[in-house]
Amino acid sequence: MRISLNWLKDYVEIGVDADTLAHQMTMLGLEIEAIERPGAELSGIYVGKILAIEPHPDADKLVVCKTDVGRGEPLQIICGAKNMSVGDKVPTAVVGSKLAGGFEIARRKMRGLESFGMMCAADELGMGDDHSGLIIMDPNSPIGADAKPLLGLDDVIFEIEVLPNRGDWASMIGVARELAALYGKPLHIPEVRLDETGKASAEYSSVTNDAPELCPRYIGRVLTGVKIGPSPDWLCKRLRAAGQRPINNVVDVTNYVLLETGHPLHAFDYDKLVENRIVVRRARAGEIMHTLDGQERALKEEMLVIADAGRAQAVAGVMGGADSEVGGSTARIFLESAYFNPISIRRTSRALGLITESSQRFQRGADPEMALYAINRAAQLMQELAGATIAPGVLDAYPTPVPPREVKLRYTRCDKLLGTEIPSDDQRRHLTALGFVVAHHDAATCTLQVPAWRHDVTQEVDLIEEIARFHGYERIPATVPTVRPVEHRFAPEDTIIRALRHHLVAAGLTEVYNWTFSSEQAVRKTRLDERYLDMVRLANPLSENQATMRSSLLPGLLEIAVHNLNHGVRDQALFEIGPVYRPVAGRDLPDEPPHLGIVLTGNANDMHWSRPQTPADFFDLKGIVETVLDFFGVAANLTPAEYPTFQRGQSVSVTLDSAEIGRMGKIGSETSKSYDFAQPVYAAEIDISKLIRKPQPHRQFDAIPAFPPSLRDVAVVVDRAVSAQALLETATRAGGKLLCRAQVFDVYQGPQVPAGKKSVALGLTFQSQERTLTDTDTQKQFDKIVNAIKTTYQAELR
Amino acid sequence: MQAECGEIQAAGLNEIALAADLKALEEARVKYLGRKGRVAELMRLLGQAAPEERPTLGKAINDVKQAITQALDARQQVLEAAAQASREVEEMIDLTLPGRRPRKGHMHVVNQVNDEIVGIFTELGFQVATGPDVETEYYNFDSLNTPADHPARDSHDTFFVKPGVVLRTHTSPVQMRVMERTQPPVAIIVPGRTYRVDNDASHSPMFNQVEGLLVDEGVTFSDLKGTLMLFVHRFFGKDTKVRFRPHFFPFTEPSAEMDISCAVCGGAGCRVCKRSGWLEVLGCGMVHPNVFGYAKYDYEKYTGYAFGMGVDRIAMLRHAISSISYLYENDLRFLEQF
Repeated sequence: MRISLNWLKDYVEIGVDADTLAHQMTMLGLEIEAIERPGAELSGIYVGKILAIEPHPDADKLVVCKTDVGRGEPLQIICGAKNMSVGDKVPTAVVGSKLAGGFEIARRKMRGLESFGMMCAADELGMGDDHSGLIIMDPNSPIGADAKPLLGLDDVIFEIEVLPNRGDWASMIGVARELAALYGKPLHIPEVRLDETGKASAEYSSVTNDAPELCPRYIGRVLTGVKIGPSPDWLCKRLRAAGQRPINNVVDVTNYVLLETGHPLHAFDYDKLVENRIVVRRARAGEIMHTLDGQERALKEEMLVIADAGRAQAVAGVMGGADSEVGGSTARIFLESAYFNPISIRRTSRALGLITESSQRFQRGADPEMALYAINRAAQLMQELAGATIAPGVLDAYPTPVPPREVKLRYTRCDKLLGTEIPSDDQRRHLTALGFVVAHHDAATCTLQVPAWRHDVTQEVDLIEEIARFHGYERIPATVPTVRPVEHRFAPEDTIIRALRHHLVAAGLTEVYNWTFSSEQAVRKTRLDERYLDMVRLANPLSENQATMRSSLLPGLLEIAVHNLNHGVRDQALFEIGPVYRPVAGRDLPDEPPHLGIVLTGNANDMHWSRPQTPADFFDLKGIVETVLDFFGVAANLTPAEYPTFQRGQSVSVTLDSAEIGRMGKIGSETSKSYDFAQPVYAAEIDISKLIRKPQPHRQFDAIPAFPPSLRDVAVVVDRAVSAQALLETATRAGGKLLCRAQVFDVYQGPQVPAGKKSVALGLTFQSQERTLTDTDTQKQFDKIVNAIKTTYQAELR
Repeated sequence: MQAECGEIQAAGLNEIALAADLKALEEARVKYLGRKGRVAELMRLLGQAAPEERPTLGKAINDVKQAITQALDARQQVLEAAAQASREVEEMIDLTLPGRRPRKGHMHVVNQVNDEIVGIFTELGFQVATGPDVETEYYNFDSLNTPADHPARDSHDTFFVKPGVVLRTHTSPVQMRVMERTQPPVAIIVPGRTYRVDNDASHSPMFNQVEGLLVDEGVTFSDLKGTLMLFVHRFFGKDTKVRFRPHFFPFTEPSAEMDISCAVCGGAGCRVCKRSGWLEVLGCGMVHPNVFGYAKYDYEKYTGYAFGMGVDRIAMLRHAISSISYLYENDLRFLEQF
């Protein structure tokens, strides 16, 4: 809603400057989205009187004027306009004046003659784009006066946000009412005096209301002898200030009254209504209507229409119809002012995709009482501006008038909720200033009648909010409450996830944060199994590639890897922790287990002068996954497995309690191709929900050995297919109690060993809790291990 | 003999003084004090001397031994210090070369800010609670006093999954989920992803909110102001000014929006604050009685406040990030700045 300060002053006396007013409105909840000062860049624009107009000796299209701006001698001004005559008063800029766009006037020679100023057209003053001629001002304007206020260029426009519950703010009177209450000053609502003559409205027309549930009140009036023409300047100026385009006097009056009162009106061409009467009804199945915007609208039965004896002539409260539109030949008008059901208007407006000034006001809840004032106000203005004759009386279909609501206020409840001590008199005063009427009150309570325009006030707390607003939020004290601790924890997993995030960052990975949208196409591109196509689908996605919620973190992570590779970042170590979404049969809501995704590509270590960079490989990824499992303190299994996403022989399955919780490996060549990777990429995805839920027993203390360990190494040559894990398991079994640790410390395959073989070096640590081991003790166990490996794997010692 | 003693002492001290390194010094030590050294030789000669001369001679030999020992020790110290010094010169390195750092990871800036906000409230005694991203209309709207045809739904451009199921448009549904499960006192802080059908320089279809709820006996609007001012002073600095403006939310009443003095211009007015000097950072209010109705809480006994803030916007303000799209583009050149 655009609020013109000059216009606002019609309704309430404002004794503060625009900035203070903006602050006051803000602190009442009238949020200012923008402040416009249309004439702010102009300076030195005076009322000038044209004393003489002579042709320019050397230019056919120019004239030489003498203009009196009340400053010394009349100025010689060369001008190209044609619409002025001697004696006209025009806005005149002098040397040094500033025009729209910061253009500064200077002395200037035009075809040999000097010009000492400029007489202005509308566009030169920032008033639209009209350059057809000079603005001819009111002949009574004093010569030399500042022209800006006379042209409305001293106005300030406040663009305010109308809150969804405050339909009454979508009007000049509604905003003025708040300020009047704030200042404790009267609200001036223009008085309406109608001069009604001739045949009564009821003889011209009738209103049949077949849908009172959707239209609780319908008021009509008939005006005759209308002369359609342009609206006067003052009206056009105000409509423009409000952001509207003047059309003709009748339409402009309906728009003006809408802006003034917040109540939408509609004017029908009376003579185009079949049988000249109005039927308020639901649309018929398949009914079609041409709306004023030139569209053909297919109506539905739940929509309310304003019809004549035959067809729908308006989508009630939303938009009028083209068939009964007021035009140049219109002579008689049927004027409508109704109160429509807000929900019905909202649904219709949404269904038709048609949001209008009218629908926005009706859907917030208009004022059934204001309907009568608004139609009379409009009738009066049409009489004044379009020469209309007002037929006596209104047609008023208001079968069940809405009685005023009463709401009770307890003064102590107000203070208890706000944390204030506001005297009861003040509490009451704030409300009565807003139009609430005290029905009765005692020392502790007060019962108030709610004004008809306040749909939002239905209970005590609504009154308390009004008191808080007018008492001033700034005056409510600030206190810090004591938060009572409770035993229950709502989201213990959140703490764990936060810690895991820190753990991974400390391990050198960078966290990414993806949108959670995905698509079937993304699943296919990543070659994930069919089950990942079971996704949560959006009914109204932003685009096809965001049509679903993600079923895996991998597609998003791989896209990020591509993005960064394309921007020259070759070394990446990324992770993301966040939910994936899995539909659950028979339930409305999907599962949202938290997953951890990791991507490694490029070098594993940063460039450093002291050592070479090494490309990240499977074991960098595995190491990170192992530290994650350590973080959770679980013994999960990593077993070789094959997946279409990953390269065969370089991927493993992560299982916990024999259920798969994750996968990792080198991205396979097909997937790599679809993402356009030019270098190896390693990725892992783990469902951490089970890890989080798994109870973590407290670690139990192991006695620190009192006797020294004894260390032995052995290198064995075995088939390449023999896994390190198998060798370690064999060693562990054979080593018995005295073997306390077995590790692989070197693996070699190459010319030093036969083809198809590899050498694996094991480091074995023997230790006893009871005594210092002798060489014989150690040797005995060591020999057992070596023999076991030799016989199990046909191994050779190296 | 006496003369011999003097001669040996003089020669020994001279050789010690001339020893250029520890090796030469060791040779001198062996030559004079060794088992077959010159001093040992004197001792052998002492056996052949007349018994009455022995005490005098013995003392003289001892003096020689002592003088040489002292000279050796002193020289040893000098030479060791010199050797150490030359080793150090040898081991000198270019100290300006960069250190060997462990690889540096970065937490996403939104989560850094998220953690800091949540941390301030958990210190005050609020507990973290969470809820699902895919939510029922009941929790997202209806139970928060926003029935189907409420105009407030217009401002939430909602992603629908199917009738009755949406992507939550705010973190507020967690309020109801928690209140249903527990009786007051309730003090929760709720971080989470939220969604609206919107995508431009200042809107992302997925964004982050942090929601707070306190319900207990005697919770007031002034408590709401006090808590949030404390938060602002901790998070944005104690010189930051705060103001509360009346606003409308269906699930709170009275409702407010909270502004802070513009971090960029300090309140003087600039492009970021649209020349107002203020930046809107959160919405808040006293929990609406209708919401308590859905939670089956006694509105006469308990009152509560709730607030919700956009983490992305706060992160953007704090780090002067010009477009929200940077947050979710995940360009490492951006992520590594934080």
